[in-house]
Formats: sequence, structure tokens, C-alpha cells
Amino acid sequence: MTTTTTRPETQIPDAPSPWKVFARVASTIWSNGKARIGLVVLGLFILIAVFAPLIAPYGASENGFDRSADSSWGHWLGTTAAGEDVLSQLIWGSQISIFVGLVAGLFSTIIAVLIGLSWGYVRGFGADVINFIVNLFLVIPGLPLMIVIAAYLSGGGIGMIIIVVVITGWAWGARVLRSQTQSLRSRDFVTAAVFSGERPFRIVFREILPNMTSLIVGNFFGAATAAILAEAGLEYLGLGDSSIVSWGTMLFWAQNSNALLTGQWALLFAPGLCIALLATSLTLINFGVDGISNPRLREGAKK
Amino acid sequence: MTNAQNNETLLEVHDLSVDYGYGPDATHAVRNIEFRLARGEFVGLVGESGSGKSTLGFALTGLSKPPAHIEKGRILFGGKDIASLDQAQLREQRHGGIAMVLQSGMNALNPVRSIRNHFVDIFRAHGHVSHENYNSRALELVGKVELPKTVLDRYPAELSGGMRQRVSIALALSLEPELMVFDEPTTALDVLVQHAVMNTIIELQKAENFTAVLISHDLGIVLESAQRVMVMHEGRIVEDAPAGDILNNPQNEYTRMLLSHYADPRAEVVELPGFVDRNRRAATGEKRASGATHPPTVSSREQRTDQKAIVVSHVSKVYPAPRRGESPVRAVDDVSFTLEPGQSLALVGASGSGKSTIAKMITAVEKPTSGSITFGDLDVVKLRRSRFRTLHSDVQMVFQDPYAALNPLHTVEYTLTRPVVNFTGLHGRDARRRVLELLDTVGLSPVEEFAAKLPHQLSGGQRQRVVIARALASNPQVIIADEPVSMLDVSLRAGVLALLEDLREQWGVSMLYITHDLLSARVVTDNIMVLNQGRVVEKGNTADVLRHPTDEYTMRLLDAIPNPRKDVA
Repeated sequence: MTTTTTRPETQIPDAPSPWKVFARVASTIWSNGKARIGLVVLGLFILIAVFAPLIAPYGASENGFDRSADSSWGHWLGTTAAGEDVLSQLIWGSQISIFVGLVAGLFSTIIAVLIGLSWGYVRGFGADVINFIVNLFLVIPGLPLMIVIAAYLSGGGIGMIIIVVVITGWAWGARVLRSQTQSLRSRDFVTAAVFSGERPFRIVFREILPNMTSLIVGNFFGAATAAILAEAGLEYLGLGDSSIVSWGTMLFWAQNSNALLTGQWALLFAPGLCIALLATSLTLINFGVDGISNPRLREGAKK
Repeated sequence: MTNAQNNETLLEVHDLSVDYGYGPDATHAVRNIEFRLARGEFVGLVGESGSGKSTLGFALTGLSKPPAHIEKGRILFGGKDIASLDQAQLREQRHGGIAMVLQSGMNALNPVRSIRNHFVDIFRAHGHVSHENYNSRALELVGKVELPKTVLDRYPAELSGGMRQRVSIALALSLEPELMVFDEPTTALDVLVQHAVMNTIIELQKAENFTAVLISHDLGIVLESAQRVMVMHEGRIVEDAPAGDILNNPQNEYTRMLLSHYADPRAEVVELPGFVDRNRRAATGEKRASGATHPPTVSSREQRTDQKAIVVSHVSKVYPAPRRGESPVRAVDDVSFTLEPGQSLALVGASGSGKSTIAKMITAVEKPTSGSITFGDLDVVKLRRSRFRTLHSDVQMVFQDPYAALNPLHTVEYTLTRPVVNFTGLHGRDARRRVLELLDTVGLSPVEEFAAKLPHQLSGGQRQRVVIARALASNPQVIIADEPVSMLDVSLRAGVLALLEDLREQWGVSMLYITHDLLSARVVTDNIMVLNQGRVVEKGNTADVLRHPTDEYTMRLLDAIPNPRKDVA
């Protein structure tokens, strides 16, 4: 951060551009060792998902091979009971997990931010109403609710799963963001913004929100992790569309064909490990998110 | 009691340097310090923020935390070099050795343990008190710091800040230290409490005859209590002399500068650097100082014709009881006053006297329980949130804590642009020109450079100037300054006060100056109101009230001011 910037007289003051903010956030996260490991692992998974058509040796549901074969040079991780190549399924399946994780995480974060911040800023009756709704979502046990909604919306594919995960996943984030908003609301600079003639909307989203970047980014990675696990869980229980290939349906079919009893541990182990690794990578990234909303920490970290 | 003043050396510091960080990036907080303490001496260590005084205090007690580390030098305590001891040896050293009382010592108590348990923990850890004597020793210690024996069964949350600080002093005493380091022991306390705790420390030192080092930013407090004073500036001790010499014959220029900011608000003529005495100004019609440093830019300010007064009449504010069974809190009780255009009025009182609540009610942030507040024909009490802009374009506020009043993520330019856009309707280049003008008005130049800065790149004084510039953005008629200088170093205070005074004189802004600091009130205000527990106990011309106080509470406030020249005058 150089202090000797000499701006031309004509330049009109503008807000920090979103790209600058993004670059700042990214470099802060990268400077943390654990987060760097997480980013590398996540990057690998994303590359695999994007280039699946090039990497995967066979199609995802190409099933003309020997059934339940052990690993061989032709099929590194063996084949399924239906005669599909496990490695190919694993590679294609990463698309679904990452897509569901990121999209569901994004949507539940957006809902959490909108509800959490307005809930934290308003007082009186409105806050009570939101309080009631959020508490309702918090006290209902997550998995049974997901199962009920999934059964109700049966046959909707991954779109349905995203909706289910978002509906059941936003409330916790909203609660965390609300308490932070409440503590920021009483800070002097927020009162000062009122004195500057700012409207409530602007106070919430331009004064308060940027001070919670780390919480929101953290909330996103947390929600994405939960979404990946929930998606795998729902599909494992057979509540998703079992015709698509994802890590969750791989587990579902492996369980269906008693893969463990036949000694085909790779069928359960490989997708399970991938789910765990992906979730871990997101959690590791969260370690690096802490320093974001503290400029002083940032300058120290930069050196 | 005679102070057993022998010349036996207790502590010797040789060529001590303390760094933060390593290598070329290291900050040298303490540089080549050299001094010795005799047994039983009371030494003051004075400096402004960033002078390295606390770093030195922590180094003396072996409490330096990374990234701070002793770069070189020796600290000889009773012949042993503390700098080279490891943690276990240091812990041994604490008994009968060195103890420290921190500024936030009142928050250093564990909220879920009773005060008695705090003492027992220490007795047990060091084993220097036999089990059956736990109680009697704890009682003796709380007695020494003038606390009733019932505090032993209380929890920290049930005690006031002053009582908690006394408890932490008693805890420090429990190991019978030979050297006590007090790091700003009273700074976080209320004025009146500050005075009382300071007296206890002085009494204790005389009675127990330990060696004391008092670290403070307040030369007044130090001169009142210490026998010898060391003045620190930028990591070095610039002057080390007996208190009397520092006061009457200061050698160093920095010491002289610090001293020049102290005066007795009761004196007939009160002058501070940059301030000519107020009465003389009134008599001769001259300005604050012959050469005002930052003449405000008046160009963009249209002449005002419709100056309005703030009328506060019979206002009370009652907060609901904090806990069930307690009575409601009456923060403000039947207060009436009028702030005329161009007038400056001081609102003084200790913390909890309701002065900030009044500020909040005038600015419509809080609603009074009863009474009325009007600004011109605007009824402030009934003002709806959506119409706040009407009020705030004329009534603005300067906040106490410049570190909290600026959003850490916005540049100075953004912070100032918002009120300009909201209140004056200027946009784009015009708004920017106005922002730069405001920065110039508050003396932050080069303006371009300051506009691009983020708050953490500014010093406290610069931040407070930005806060003032923001308050000026709407061309207000009234500025409410809530302790605008209490968080600033002494040398910066005069500058900020001078700026406020210039604005008032040249822009015709009226000012409500809220403070507990009577000296600054004397310098910048014409009239004064003294508040005690929400009630006005005294009001009138500032100089008259302070020179001839009639209320007992005003006298107590005046007595609590540390004044190095009290004995000399």
C-alpha cells in the first residue's frame, strides 16, 4: 500500500473495485500455509472436473466391461457391478460434487448475508419475526428435513439437491452474521455514517458488510463443505437421481452391490476419500480467511 | 514514616535495546537505555504513545512477548541479569522480586472466580503462605489497598473499575515484591477514581517501602507522585532528574514542551501553547493566537442568515433497570439549557454523569423519556429516522475515539465524499474539490496524499482531524464534540482544540464541548455546565465557575486534576 499515490486532479473518487478486493482476499489467503495446501487441493479437483472429458479414460456410464473386476492396467480402480470403469466415474463425478458444493454454498451464503445483516441492523418487531423463522430452521434436525424435502421434490436431479441443501443450510450462517452485525452496528463509525446522511441500506452494505468479509468468505467455505457432504449423503441414501454419476451415487451403487463383501474396497474407498479431501481442502482454506478484514494484520503478513 | 532512602542499588539497566521484529524491518522501540534504581525509590517514566515506555516496563519485568525481544543490554536485578533468565527462573524471581500492574489490570481478573480464589491461586502457586494463613493474608492485602473485607467473596463483575484495579494491585503485592512496575494504572479509570487510586499507590509505596516505577503518559500524575522522573521520547530517555528539577528547571526541549501543556484551570489567566487567555481575547477582541496556523478556507461557505439555537428544556432520560429488582437508571434528570448560535458551551462531569446521553438526544440518536429539544422550529424528539438528514445537515458530531469513528476499510476520501454528496448535492469533480478543501481546512496537507490514505496509516491526531473534516462537510451550524481530545497525546491535543476554536471563531459554528477535562474546557469555552448524576449542579461563565466553584462536586473534579505546580504556586 503505497502512500505516495498522486492522483490526477480530474480523477473522480471511486469505490475500490471488486477485482482489487478479490485480489486482496486471494493474496491474504495464499499467505497462510494451511490455506495454501487447501487451495492447491481444491485447484486440483477443479482442474480434474473441468478437464474430465480429456482425463477420463472412458465415459462415465460406459458399461461394456467385465463386471466387478479388480484393479488392472485397463481399469486402475476396477469396475463396478454394472461393468463401468470406477476411475472414470470418479473423475466425472467430481463435476457434480464441486458444482453442487460451490453453487449451494454460494446461494446459502447469499441468503445468510441478506437475512443476517438486515436482521442484525433492524430492531423491534421485524427482528422478532426473522428471529422466529431462523430459529424454526435451526431447531429442525437437518438430515430428516433434507430427507423429507428431497422425498417431496423427488426426481429433480441436482437442481433439487441444491435447493434442499440451501433451504437447510442458510440459517446457521445468518445467525453468525447477525451477531457480528449487531456488534458492528454499535461502533462509532456506523453512527458516524448516520451523521453523514447515509441511508440504512448503504450503511448495512457499504459500512458494515466489508468489515465482515472474512466471516462471509468463511461462511461460504463452511456452507460449501456442508453442501458437498449433504449432497453425497442424500445420494448415498438414494434420494437423488441415481442415474447421474456422482461420488454420492457411486457410494449408493457400491453399497447396493455389497462392494465390501466382494472385496472391492476401492468402490467405497475412492469416492469417500475424494469427498473427505475436498471437504478438508475447503476447511483448510478457511484457516487463511481470518486475516482478511483486518488491514493491519494484512500489512504485517505481507512484509 | 521516613523513607528509608539508602543508596543501595536495586536495579541497574545497561545499554538496553528492545526491538520488535528482526533484521532490517525491526522497529527499535527502546534504544540504548541506561539507568539505575535505588531501593525504595519512586520513579516516574513519562512519554507519549509510541515512546517505548511500556515496552521498557515489560522488558524490566521479563514479560516481553514476541515479536518484542531484548536486542542487547543487561538488566541487573539484585546482581542477576533478568534478560538472560528463562521462564522457570523468572517465575521463581516473581516472589520477592518484580511485580507489574497493568493498565487493563482491572480486566485481568477471571470473571468466574471469586476475589478470594485469585489470592489463593497465587499463594498456592508460590507456597510462601501456609494454608491456615490464606484467609488472614488475603484480608491483610485487601486492607492495604483500602477495600472492605467483603470483596473477597465477590466476583470481578460485581466490582467497579477502580475496585478491580485495587484488587490487581493487592494481587501484585501478595508476592512481597521489591520492585513494582505500574503501567498506566489509572488511565482507564474515571477522573475521580483515578485520583483516589493514585493516592492509594503513593501511600502504599511509603508504607511498604517497595521500589516503584510509574509509567504514564500524564506528566501531571507522575510529578505529583514520583521523586524522580525519566522522560522518554522515541525510545530514548531524554531527561532523568528529580521531580522538582523537571518542574522548575527542565533541561530538555521535549520536557519543556510537555510541561507547557499543563496549567491550572483555576488560575486567573490560563494560556496553553497556541491559546491566548480567553478573557483577554474577549476584552481585546483578538483571535485565538496571533498567527493561527490553519486559516480555514471560507470560500465555499455561503454567509448564514438563519442561525438557529438548540433549546433543551426539562429533558430526562431513564433507562430500564439493568437487572430485575434494581431501580431504573436515571441518566439525565431534568436538564435545561440553550445553545445560542456561535456560542461555545462546555458540558463537564465524571463518567456516568449523563453528558454523552445528552449529546445523543440532541442529535436524535436517542429519544428522551420526557422533555423537549428543539433546533430552530425543528422538533428533535419527534424527528423520524427518515428525516435525520434535515437535522444532521446542521448539527454534527465529533466522536471521542478517532480509532473507532472511521471505518477501517474506507479511504479518507470515501469517508469525506459521502457526507458531501449526501448534504450538498455536489457530485464527481465538484465533490472531490470540496473534499480536498475540507482536508485543507483541518490542516491535513498535502491533501491529495491524505485523501488516498486508509485510517490505519494515520496517527491519532490526523484521524481526529479527518473526523472533524467529516463533521464540517455539511456546513453545520452546531458541532457537538464528545471528548474530542481525550484519546490523544498531550502534544496533539492543543492542535485539535485550536482547530475547533478557529472553526468556531471564523465559521460562526456553535459548539457543545463535552469533557471531563476542565483545563481544555477553560481554554475553548465561554460557558460551562457541570453535571453530576444527570443533574446540572452548576452553570455559568467558564472562568468564573472554575475559579470560584460553589458546588462541592465541582470542587472535587477540580481537585482530581493532577497539577504539577500545585505545591509550587
